[in-house]
Amino acid sequence: MSLRKTFARATRVAGIAAAVSLFALAGCTSTAGGASSSQPLKKEDLVFVCSVINTTNPYFAANIEGCQSLGKKLGIPVEVVDSNGSSQTEISKIQAILAGGKKAVVFVNTVASSDAPTIVNAVKAAGGFVTIWWNKPDNLDPAEVGNNFVAFQKHSGIDSGKCTTEALSKAIGEKGGIIALPGVQDSTTSATRVAGLKEALATEFPNVELLDVRPSNWDPQLAYKNAKDLIAKYGDQIKGVWTADDGMQIGAMQAFSEAGLLDKVKFVSDGLYPPTIESMKKHEGNDAIVGETFHRGYMASAIGLYTAYLAAIGEIDPSTLPHEKRDSMFKISCVTPDNLDEFLKWDNDVDGWVDQLIEKGPWDTEPVPLVAGGPEVIKPEYK
Amino acid sequence: MTNTLAKPTGNVSVDTSELSSAGLTRTRRNILSGIGEPVALLGALVVLIAIFSALNPRFATITNLQNVLNQASLPIIIGVGATLVILIGSIDLSVEGVMAASGVAFVLMSANTRGGQDMGIWAFIVPLALGIVLGAANGLIYTLLKVPSFIVTLGMWFIGFGIATILYGTDAYPELTNETLTQWAAKIELGLPNVFWLAAALVIVAALVLRYTRFGRAALAIGNNEDIARANGMPVRKHKVTTFIIAGALSGLAGILATMQMGGTSNHIGEGYLFLTLPAVVIGGTALSGGKGGVLRTFLGVILLTVLNNGLVLAGVSPNFQSALSGAILVVAIVAAAWSQRGRLRIAK
Repeated sequence: MSLRKTFARATRVAGIAAAVSLFALAGCTSTAGGASSSQPLKKEDLVFVCSVINTTNPYFAANIEGCQSLGKKLGIPVEVVDSNGSSQTEISKIQAILAGGKKAVVFVNTVASSDAPTIVNAVKAAGGFVTIWWNKPDNLDPAEVGNNFVAFQKHSGIDSGKCTTEALSKAIGEKGGIIALPGVQDSTTSATRVAGLKEALATEFPNVELLDVRPSNWDPQLAYKNAKDLIAKYGDQIKGVWTADDGMQIGAMQAFSEAGLLDKVKFVSDGLYPPTIESMKKHEGNDAIVGETFHRGYMASAIGLYTAYLAAIGEIDPSTLPHEKRDSMFKISCVTPDNLDEFLKWDNDVDGWVDQLIEKGPWDTEPVPLVAGGPEVIKPEYK
Repeated sequence: MTNTLAKPTGNVSVDTSELSSAGLTRTRRNILSGIGEPVALLGALVVLIAIFSALNPRFATITNLQNVLNQASLPIIIGVGATLVILIGSIDLSVEGVMAASGVAFVLMSANTRGGQDMGIWAFIVPLALGIVLGAANGLIYTLLKVPSFIVTLGMWFIGFGIATILYGTDAYPELTNETLTQWAAKIELGLPNVFWLAAALVIVAALVLRYTRFGRAALAIGNNEDIARANGMPVRKHKVTTFIIAGALSGLAGILATMQMGGTSNHIGEGYLFLTLPAVVIGGTALSGGKGGVLRTFLGVILLTVLNNGLVLAGVSPNFQSALSGAILVVAIVAAAWSQRGRLRIAK
């Protein structure tokens, strides 16, 4: 038989095999979801899946750290999914792990809100348990999907925006112009933080003027370019800079530094990334950074994974949990140069914090206890 | 063109004076068509500058000029390499991957917040060499294995990105600790940012090489008709590999400069540059089919795009409309600039 014919036959066989697998999977979809959630799973049958948007952003790297620490404590292997910023990569890698045989307990920091339904359905079909962090469509309710979608969890974006805006406004004497550099324009996380900014200005600081809002896509370089353009446009009218995350703050600070304005302008942002901590510690630019928020990637992933784990082994029954434990918002703390030291202790002992999480449960561990239920609603006037 | 070269057949008497007069007209038309597009592009740029200046007086200030030129510099440097590659009828999509690999290598070999040793001059040489190696790999695979450049360089994009990701690891974001490095790019010398002087020097060198050297003329000849170039004994493969090496080196340089500009880097440092630069090359009038165009046109194309984005921000256009408006203005500007040339445009279907 010629090589070409052999190849053609192999292709046909592979095609038939794929079709059979799809039928089998479709069959699973209709039955396995219900069956799997009623029977507690054995610890030795589990694998932790830790899906992040990329592995180099400090926040996502911390997500992985939290998953690995919890996996080590509980003796469960951890599979990391690096989505490389692509929804397609994220979904296909998760599906490949689900097909691997073990029951998956999944934490996903979704690339886009729209990925959540596909991931949830795939995990449910494979009899696993999933907690989604940060992004999901508002109409995807864990309680409606069933026990396999254990919870959706996040920190309040509105609280973050208010927190940083208060620090910035006070630092500039509650009057003057500020500029804002949000993340990707259609990101819920960014939109809620901007809503917090606008609400704080409208209700508490009417003399602080929001000169311009330029979405910078979570990209330090775009933030740098936008900040350069806004410096050219407004010059010394800019007294403060609000960015939706610390990555963009790095770009903005570089632009103001090049313009010789770093020690005349104040900055606030969300995330308290390591470079931000360093900058605050060494009082860069006459204490240029005046406000941050504290929440951690390793805390988010460990809380998410631990919640899903408790459901998988039958310690909690998601269907009996109150709404706020299925659609949850965890505490976010406001950080200023004065109280910075209080928050640095956590990063030095991630394993110790995970011990506390296991002892106190996913909803009662400081400094990030459960504070409210979702979804987080943006008032129309602050959109 | 074809008619003038065709050999007269039979007893046809040829009026040489008529021929030479027709030739002269054609030469004049060729010269006009050669400068027509850049002049029209320059016209579009002037109109944009006039409109933006009217909308916001701060647009036409020295500070903003320095800002625009600072922002345009990296796309110009990458654009020089991209233009050379496009002139030979190929394409280089590996820009962002090469930038990432070089940028991360540079920061890790310089004094940075992650610690480690400052390698001095090697912190520049090694990342540039990395760009050259990746560029050479592009050229060699493309010419020896006859794989389309589109595919090879797409693969090399991800290889470069992969190298950057491995080098970067999962430690904290590394920032340069040497302020001379972080402030160099935007530092003003003789009224303009350092990085722009570097970009301008590269454009001038590339323009002179294209105009006055055998290498430059060969690039145009290969892009025009590779078979004829080869039949004339031109070392086509060598020229192509050299072109990709130059493009790789320039992407590597851009990775280093972007890192210096940001004061640090991650493996995402190159993001967005490819799809800023390629349109600028085409807008400048370099044909994607090869053989026609030049780096001065690319320079104009980059400046046009940068002015457009900067002007829209200064004019206070809402971010919701900026993308659509920027696209619409661009289409109008290009149609206006290319109007006189529309009959001779080499449209790639």
